[in-house]
Amino acid sequence: MASLIFQIMVDSLLLGGVYTLMAVGLSLAFGVTRIINFAHGDVVMYGAYAAFFAFVGLNVDPLLSLVFVAVLGGIGGYLLFKLTLDRILDAASINQVLLTFGLGLVLQNVAVILWTGDERSTTPSYAFDSWFISDDVVVAKGRLIAFGLAIAFVVLLLAWLRWSELGRATRAVSQNRAAASLMGINVRAMYGLSFALSTAFGTATGAIMSFLLPITPFMGFPILVKAFAIIILGGLDSIVGTVIGAFFLATAETTIAYVVPQGIGWAEGVAFFLLVMVLIARPNGILGTVGRDA
Amino acid sequence: MNSTRVWIVFAAAIIASFVVPHFLPPGLSDWVTRLSTLMLVAISWNMMANAGLISLGHSGFWGLGAYSVALLANAFHMPFWLSLIPAMLLGAIFGAFLAYITGRLRGLFFAISTLATSEALRVVALMVPKLTGGAEGVFVFDQIRPDRVTMTSFALCLAVVAVAISYFLSRSRYQYALRAMRDSESAVQMLGVNPARFRIGVTTLSGAIAACGGVISAWYTGYLDPGSAFDLKVTISAQIAPLFGGLYTVTGPVIGSFAILALSELTRLYFNYSGGVGLLVYGCILVFGVLLMPSGLVGLWKRRRKRAGPVAAIPAEVK
Repeated sequence: MASLIFQIMVDSLLLGGVYTLMAVGLSLAFGVTRIINFAHGDVVMYGAYAAFFAFVGLNVDPLLSLVFVAVLGGIGGYLLFKLTLDRILDAASINQVLLTFGLGLVLQNVAVILWTGDERSTTPSYAFDSWFISDDVVVAKGRLIAFGLAIAFVVLLLAWLRWSELGRATRAVSQNRAAASLMGINVRAMYGLSFALSTAFGTATGAIMSFLLPITPFMGFPILVKAFAIIILGGLDSIVGTVIGAFFLATAETTIAYVVPQGIGWAEGVAFFLLVMVLIARPNGILGTVGRDA
Repeated sequence: MNSTRVWIVFAAAIIASFVVPHFLPPGLSDWVTRLSTLMLVAISWNMMANAGLISLGHSGFWGLGAYSVALLANAFHMPFWLSLIPAMLLGAIFGAFLAYITGRLRGLFFAISTLATSEALRVVALMVPKLTGGAEGVFVFDQIRPDRVTMTSFALCLAVVAVAISYFLSRSRYQYALRAMRDSESAVQMLGVNPARFRIGVTTLSGAIAACGGVISAWYTGYLDPGSAFDLKVTISAQIAPLFGGLYTVTGPVIGSFAILALSELTRLYFNYSGGVGLLVYGCILVFGVLLMPSGLVGLWKRRRKRAGPVAAIPAEVK
């Protein structure tokens, strides 16, 4: 029993790292632009494919190609923002929802046409490795790496937001557009920057997912929905809240998967259940400041 | 149009929907059935959008309608026309429930919670195989399935009724309250309208209409599983048709449904069922629709008329 509890804790912690990666980009972009990117899951999927082709074609380890993938993702995201979202920033939120939803569909189905629905994955040696802490407590090495990277990314992001000039400007825009604009900050440029950062995070997440999950054109949607649940749990515009939300969801899912009969199937629904519950009970999330009028 | 003429038009359309299917070749009749189901969900989606409620959960209504048919047909051998009532009731209850639990959530947050609830329903349908047949799916009792002509009439008739409902709603005084809610619920509240009542009313009606789509689909295809019943594609087509035709209008979803279905037939002809192309086209319509013609085909037409309009109008004013 003790080892089961310990195993649940270990698994929750590791899964929480993966979930943090999925959600943090979405949260960053929302905090600044107040637009939810429904294509975020598909951005992650493109990152995974990029890492896959780098691994198979050039024999580059996903952890190395991650850097290039993130840079490319950031550039791609910036272009996407300039070409589409930038034009409808002042439109009603329904237009923004439909637009990003449509972008997601386009991205997904271009992938279906280019690469078919076949499952792929990168297979670096650490993907299958695991450590036994004791006789019956296992730590999957791939997840541990993902966990470490998630923590590193979040710390870097927080440091950037706190101490760099651009980071401060980003936070200012997130807190109050009008005031930030009066302080001489180019609000539109900050929108573009935060969106690019968010897609860079998304594609980097994809590179990491490439050795954790099967890569298919359809992997984006479940990731997107989980990321929604997490950022709503955490409070949408708070990075720390997002991390807490990620670990909360991971713990809930892992516990249900272990304890409830047929739990793995039901665990899939936990995110939806939590999402609806939070929206009803505490619409501002754990650490959020956004009212629900957006 | 004055109201008697409108009533006559709708009555004629209802009668036509019972007569015309007898003379349609099978291919066309299949097309009409699918058009009618698409129109139902599109009208229902547009109705909610009109009040500022972005639904990403229409597959939830659809799936509930479809599953209630499967259960009732198999357990009680309920005929198709009767099964409509419990199915619509279930859709309506789910709509009211959704409006009730989402309380004052707006825009994005309402959209996300509808997406989450419909996905939750899919997981539930998957996890209670005793009731729903689980991942293996369930067949609708074959001997009581109506024939093709009856099915087409039934679908067409429902679509006409849905158009009528949305027309009369747009002419009623509620329309002003709903349209105002789209811009600002708090402002509406200050004017003495209770937005919660309208919100629940609209989602209830919309849920019932969308459930009809599921009912038709279940009887028509005779089989459903959680993946197909709660398919995100339903939600996607429900939002594309009104956007393409013209958001917040009565004719928009109708024209949009025609256009979308014609377009998907064309892509199917040219790309031979190959996966992805159809949805890619839908995605492109969403993106370019929002960017280039946010008021849809109806908007384009109105703008053209307006451009031609003033020239004709001036002489009348001079007189």
